[in-house]
Amino acid sequence: MPHLMVCPRQIHWTLTLVLGYLFYLLLGAMVFQMLEKQAEAQSRDQFQLEKLSFLQNYTCLDRQALEQFVQVRGTSCVWVPSYPGNWDFSNSFFFAGTVVTTIGYGNLAPSTVAGQVFCVFYALFGVPLNLAFLNQLGKGLSAHLLTLGRWVHKPGRAQVVQTLTMALFLTTGTLLFLVFPPMIFSYVEGWSYGEGFYFTFITLSTIGFGDYVVGMDPNKHYIFVYKSLAAVWIVFGLAWLALVFNLGADLMEKFLQLKWHKPGLGMTEGAAISKSEEDPDQPRIHISS
Amino acid sequence: MCGKPRGACVRWRWGIPRTLVLLLVYLGYLLLGSVAFWALEGPIERDSAQRLLQEKWELLMNHTCLQGEALDQFAQGIIHAYKTGLALQGNTTMGRWDMVGSFFFSVSAITTIGYGNLSPTTAVARVVCIFFALFGIPLNVILLNRIGQLMLAGVQHCSRHLGEKFRWQDGATMLTRTCALVTGLLLFLLLPPFLFSAIEGWTYEEGFYYSFITLSTIGFGDYVIGMNPGRFYPSWYKNVVSLWILFGMAWLALVINLCISLLENSSNLCHCCKKRSKDVAQELMDGDKTSNLGAEDVESCSNRETKSKGLD
Repeated sequence: MPHLMVCPRQIHWTLTLVLGYLFYLLLGAMVFQMLEKQAEAQSRDQFQLEKLSFLQNYTCLDRQALEQFVQVRGTSCVWVPSYPGNWDFSNSFFFAGTVVTTIGYGNLAPSTVAGQVFCVFYALFGVPLNLAFLNQLGKGLSAHLLTLGRWVHKPGRAQVVQTLTMALFLTTGTLLFLVFPPMIFSYVEGWSYGEGFYFTFITLSTIGFGDYVVGMDPNKHYIFVYKSLAAVWIVFGLAWLALVFNLGADLMEKFLQLKWHKPGLGMTEGAAISKSEEDPDQPRIHISS
Repeated sequence: MCGKPRGACVRWRWGIPRTLVLLLVYLGYLLLGSVAFWALEGPIERDSAQRLLQEKWELLMNHTCLQGEALDQFAQGIIHAYKTGLALQGNTTMGRWDMVGSFFFSVSAITTIGYGNLSPTTAVARVVCIFFALFGIPLNVILLNRIGQLMLAGVQHCSRHLGEKFRWQDGATMLTRTCALVTGLLLFLLLPPFLFSAIEGWTYEEGFYYSFITLSTIGFGDYVIGMNPGRFYPSWYKNVVSLWILFGMAWLALVINLCISLLENSSNLCHCCKKRSKDVAQELMDGDKTSNLGAEDVESCSNRETKSKGLD
């Protein structure tokens, strides 16, 4: 079959990719286990100790009542009597944002069947919409970059200019989206800079563990501008980081493929790919079968 | 596709209004969602908060030696422990950072699912996590692209094969495409909930919710597999689920990409009326010229393919 595209070379490439991926995951698992196990055991012991001492201090309390109480506590919300509740409007908006951007902090999640079903359909249309929107933003950003590149362009210096623009783009983006926001967060939320940076990265990469979430401390008073600014920051930061990740994936793939393949094939393929990538706004001609 | 000069010009002229329109639609969609969730979840939550307060008062009444303040403090401790991911019942609190748990955490980090039922607490682990994700996410994207590309290639191959056999290309293409969509839907979204409901004891609807939230990489972490200390899990379970996540994500990324290209094409349609989009792959190619996190590779692969065919 001439058009059967799964040729041995590609199988090799896929296999390497899969193996590399697995290896990477295992490595991560090992490191995280090493780092976290100690801390976890410590906090577990501490919790057990706390429970025991609580039981000893208040002798009228029997074990069962406490266990039941613990079970109830584990399931939900915040322990502040006058708290208006998590699902007010601004938090719902925030929640909708975390759904369509696929951040999904999970500090809020629908608990009713109707809410869950709606959430599924909401995401089904919202996620593509969000991606289209981010694409548009990213397109705008890269178009500006291109014009900038053309403006400074001189023959024979294209490589230098390209690298320079890229460096400028990366630096500005890093400062604007990764370095400054943690300062604001640490000021408003009372986190350390490191925690703020961790939050920033986990949010913008759309991992969203939800261990740190902006504007969720019931004891703090937040000004209105703060949350809106955070939302704007998230949208633009997502577009920027998606571009960076794309760039990273491109570079990594090119590098790996060049490394892996035989030089002759790799050169032509690489040239073809890079050529097609250099002018993205030029419509390509597809030879349809 | 648009002719080059006209297309470029149109795109430039319509660039800003289109962005604006998209922005407005986006905001409207978000507002819609927030109103819906507010209406659906708000009352329930107020109820449960009431119940909780009542329970607290009952506890305080029944056990008179307790002081409210101490109880509050204890509750804070519980919340903290719960957030760090300890199972709280009984004497033994199950640790979660064993090898399997760490592996699962790694998967959830670099696929950007981020359940958050586990998250690093020490400063070193956080730094490591950042760098791990920084290189892991592109790697994951590449792999997903690769898998999606292989799936697409398989479908195309099948359709061509069938078309040659039955001498009816359009019908065969349609047939295989429908088949692929239905199979994917069954395999990745409709059947796994049965497995989850058998092993985790969730309802079908909960299982479906979990499947979708996972594969779309939203990952709230309100439902996570293999985390119930009271249940017995077969050893193949987690591996199978990991595989399911990988292939399912690639499949869903393909579908979502298709949705995006349809969305963008439909908004392009008024400008480029002559566009005839017949081929899904073609649409994907057009779409992912601009798509960020999609099957970018599909394009270059198909280019390569057409090239090799031309040579042949």
